[in-house]
Amino acid sequence: MAKPRGVVTTAGPTAPAAVNAPPKMELRGIAKTFSTRNGPVEALGRCDLAVRKGEFVTVVGPSGCGKSTLMTIAAGLDDPSEGEVLVDGAPAGRAGPRRSVVFQKFALFPSETVAQNIEFGLTVAGLPRPEREARLVEQLAIMNLEQFRNAYPHELSGGMQQRVAIARALVVRPEILLMDEPFGALDAQTRSVLQEEVSRLRRVMDYTVLFITHSVEEAVYLGDRVVVMSRRPGRIKKEIAVARDAAWRGGEIEAASDHADFNDARREVWELVREEIVRQ
Amino acid sequence: MLIAIVGSAALVLAWWIVTGPAALVAPLYLPPPAEVLATFGRMAREPYLGSTLWAHVYASLSIVLLGWLLAGAVGLPLGVAMAWWPRLRWIVFPLFQLVRPVPPLAWIPLAIIWLGIGDGARVSVVFIAALVPWLMNSMQAVYSVDALLVSAARTLGASNRQILVRVVGRTALPTLVAGARIALGNAWTTLIAAELLAASAGLGYVALNASRTLETGVLLVAMGVIGLLGVLMSAAMRVATRVLAPWSTKGGASA
Amino acid sequence: MPALAWGAGTLAALLAVWLVATSVTGLVPARVLPSPVAIVQRAVALVAAPFSGATLEGHALASLTRWAIGVACAIVVGIPFGILLAWLPPVRVAVGPVFELLRFIPPFAWVPIAVLWFGASTTTQALVVFIAAFPACVINAQLGVSQVDPILQRAAQVLGAGSLTTLRRVVVPVAAPSAFTGVRIAVSNGWMALVGAELIVGKQGLGFLISQGQNNDSVATIFVGIIAIGVLGAAIDVMLQRLQARLLPWTPALAQAR
Repeated sequence: MAKPRGVVTTAGPTAPAAVNAPPKMELRGIAKTFSTRNGPVEALGRCDLAVRKGEFVTVVGPSGCGKSTLMTIAAGLDDPSEGEVLVDGAPAGRAGPRRSVVFQKFALFPSETVAQNIEFGLTVAGLPRPEREARLVEQLAIMNLEQFRNAYPHELSGGMQQRVAIARALVVRPEILLMDEPFGALDAQTRSVLQEEVSRLRRVMDYTVLFITHSVEEAVYLGDRVVVMSRRPGRIKKEIAVARDAAWRGGEIEAASDHADFNDARREVWELVREEIVRQ
Repeated sequence: MLIAIVGSAALVLAWWIVTGPAALVAPLYLPPPAEVLATFGRMAREPYLGSTLWAHVYASLSIVLLGWLLAGAVGLPLGVAMAWWPRLRWIVFPLFQLVRPVPPLAWIPLAIIWLGIGDGARVSVVFIAALVPWLMNSMQAVYSVDALLVSAARTLGASNRQILVRVVGRTALPTLVAGARIALGNAWTTLIAAELLAASAGLGYVALNASRTLETGVLLVAMGVIGLLGVLMSAAMRVATRVLAPWSTKGGASA
Repeated sequence: MPALAWGAGTLAALLAVWLVATSVTGLVPARVLPSPVAIVQRAVALVAAPFSGATLEGHALASLTRWAIGVACAIVVGIPFGILLAWLPPVRVAVGPVFELLRFIPPFAWVPIAVLWFGASTTTQALVVFIAAFPACVINAQLGVSQVDPILQRAAQVLGAGSLTTLRRVVVPVAAPSAFTGVRIAVSNGWMALVGAELIVGKQGLGFLISQGQNNDSVATIFVGIIAIGVLGAAIDVMLQRLQARLLPWTPALAQAR
């Protein structure tokens, strides 16, 4: 994988944020109730979640626990029934490129080429062409997409499409990257490849990420902090810290299970999730 | 394409046989091909009922295109607006559903009373005929845009207007063009009928008069030109689809 | 439901405006737009006594009869033709292009030549209806057959069914919903064509009624005719929809004609 040429999104690798600075993103007292035809449905109970700058937080939980709702609210695509979303300590407002999103179903614009898709956020912001082109080329290189720049989404495989989606979300230099079960729609092999790629990317670029998944293994492999949610109405059950520079980071995900610390973390998280699935 | 040519050649051959050597049908009902061709040449050069063939073609085409474009100018924005703002849809759609089952032609007598036998009556009826597909397809086109794409655009910072133009507009384009094509077909059909009722020039008018004066040759020329224009318009729309929406993998049903 | 409320409200408001503008205040002359009351009165009168040859139901019946004849012919000829086009490639190659070419001549363009051949009679009307209804039957039947999953045909073959049996017992039932949708479109096209044909040449029927209204400067009559046409057209479509649900319950949800 090509190394990025000198343009880094956040300030240097692993410089810990000043202790007194507010978290990059904070979900404070978030709850969400939907009104459906059959009456009100409480999707999220009170949740408090903070993501520090440079952290990779993964959220895992049983099906239907409301993790996607959490993501939608965090992204600003929907309003919580209670609580607020803060970025850098101030109310976050509507959705925008500060919190860019990678969706499970890719959501690439079918009528635009790969290049146009990736550039979209830059075009919409009115960035002048030379700078757009420069950032586009850089991002294409990082994600190994150079030869596909003029292809249309329907001509690409699922894995390639998701790479384009990730590139599109990164090129706008978001302050926090939100990923909603991004590999859920891919086959097992492509999923492993992309997980490894994200992990490697993470080591080089210091992104702040909130990552939703239903796979315990993926959550532990990628996350510095694994947040386990309860079943519906979803609440934060427990948070497990995983060593950021563990030996197996960035390596093959199969090889990770050779390491005791990985297996311990995974087992612990899995037990917590299983409790929720089994609980009546 | 080749097959079409071969097919039409076969048709012409059968025609010639039936009217010529076999003499199955009297010339009054179906003149032989040679005679029709001669009539075509004559009409192209000399005026028939006040205008040459080309002038009649122009008269018909101008009304059809005017009505069609007006219907598009109204139907397209209205359809998109109705899909975007539910309240507008709740107001307009029931009205629309009430008027829809009425054949556009049925409005002609009313149009004649209100606007007289002039271009206005015909344009209005063509407008009504074309409005339905323009409106319905525009609405459908916007509906069929995946809400996920709109969300994605929002997270990338697009404003409402930008989303409408760049995401919805472009993704909906193939359906919109299909709607335009159907609208044109409807408009053409209705125009011919309207000309049978309320016109003093145009291909339909020519056909009707020729039938009254028993000039079958002229009638057939008119019908042939009508069909030919229909083919050309359909082909033009297909080209337009490919130009405007090259990414639509399947062009959808043909004309 | 808000949608229903807004819709009903709008219609009621428009009706009210219409009433006020015409009969209450007389702002709009009856010659241009009669009041709803006058239209209802005219409808009643037309049912009670004949006008231009028949009462309202008489005209409606005449229209429906011609329409039914034309549509029935179109279905009986069109659907088998469509099936053949899809099932037998030689037929498609030979006859298909001719069909495609003739399709581009709008039904109404056939009216003058039909009048020449058959005079201003029921045959002319029925012919125009036939021409209008025929293409939809053919195309949808053809589409239905060609879209039958070949694996079903192979399954039948493996079980020993001959070509004709496969066609009859496997292909046709699976293609039926699509063909039925074609029938619905054809029926509606036929109705529209009929009205037009009656406007142009005719001595009876709802289209004729409208043109007589025009000749006698009775706008109310025109409106009665238009409403009758619209109501009948909509009723026919609704009935067909119900029929489709009863006869062909395996219709996939794709049967959305409009």
